[in-house]
Amino acid sequence: MSDDKNIDAMSFEEAIRELEQVVTALDRGDVALEQSIALYERGAALKSRCEAKLKEAEEKVAQITLDGNGQPSGSTPVEGL
Amino acid sequence: MTTLLIENPAGLNHVTPAGHPEQIARLQAVTLALAPLELLHREEAPMADESDLLLCHPQSHIDRIRAAIPDAETTTALDADTYVSAGSWEAALKGVGGCLRAVDAVLGEEVQNAFVATRPPGHHCETDRPMGFCLFGNIAIAAKHALQRHGLSRVAVVDFDVHHGNGTQDLLWSEANALFVSSHQMPLYPGTGAASERGGFNNVMNLPLGPGTDGGAMRNNYTSRVIPRLREFAPELILISAGFDAHRADPLANLMWETEDFVWLTRALCDVADEVCAGRVVSTLEGGYDLDALAEATAAHVTVLMERAG
Repeated sequence: MSDDKNIDAMSFEEAIRELEQVVTALDRGDVALEQSIALYERGAALKSRCEAKLKEAEEKVAQITLDGNGQPSGSTPVEGL
Repeated sequence: MTTLLIENPAGLNHVTPAGHPEQIARLQAVTLALAPLELLHREEAPMADESDLLLCHPQSHIDRIRAAIPDAETTTALDADTYVSAGSWEAALKGVGGCLRAVDAVLGEEVQNAFVATRPPGHHCETDRPMGFCLFGNIAIAAKHALQRHGLSRVAVVDFDVHHGNGTQDLLWSEANALFVSSHQMPLYPGTGAASERGGFNNVMNLPLGPGTDGGAMRNNYTSRVIPRLREFAPELILISAGFDAHRADPLANLMWETEDFVWLTRALCDVADEVCAGRVVSTLEGGYDLDALAEATAAHVTVLMERAG
């Protein structure tokens, strides 16, 4: 697990991969007591990163506008998402 | 009657490496916080002997711990968290001995209730595995002592330390006459403590709490689930694994309890004890790693015990 890696710079795939590792380690219970809370907190940050990246993707999809034939015709800004 | 405070000065000689959260300063902080409580009846913890440890642990575990104790001014790691130093044997055996003396004093009606201020803690130590700062299962040994040597039929152990009491659960798993209840943050060390873990005789109740759980949610959970279960079980003695690391200030967890929540919980447990076992309560220190919060919450906990002792 790359503890030093900046979560804000991670792709969705990188964040979800590390999150899975964190959850597995916590579930398995082989993390030291002293480190357990730090690992949990990193997991929470990774989860936030995944959620943010998902939301970005949702916004991009929502911006796609369709023409009269149901074909994508471009994109418009979406507010309030 | 009074409240008995068992003190374990030998706990000050159980050395952990610099920066380790389970540090000597914890017991110093607790001792200072309890010093003004003049009405406490104070005793120094006696040594347990091997026959006491054998109530819960095999000889091989006892021998392993003893053999790991270093001679010199150093520490030996048993795992990533758990260390022993030259003073650890006496500290640990007096922790166990203090719990047993507290049970004797409460069941012998010398005192109403008791608190054992000790370190290292005990609730993570399994049958043959020291872990999570713990060397022997202090509270489980006390439960077995009450059942086997005092002839009690039902003993309850309530563990409100923020980490699951996996050791106590392991040691009491097949003990039909002991009800073990643990509330704890999940996910967190040691990873066990799911509600589905119920013991060999449906004698284990786990109450996992999500990160951020505050005192209000804790009170609701205890009121609706734990207290009725304790009433139904009707123990003849209630033992408490009192860790104060569910406090919002604690650096090792994310629960949001305040000192007043520990006061509420102690009163609630004493209320059940009044109903079912003439108020007989023995509490022992487990975790709690913010020194100020630990000191404040421990003093508040013991003050409630004193109020209930009259």
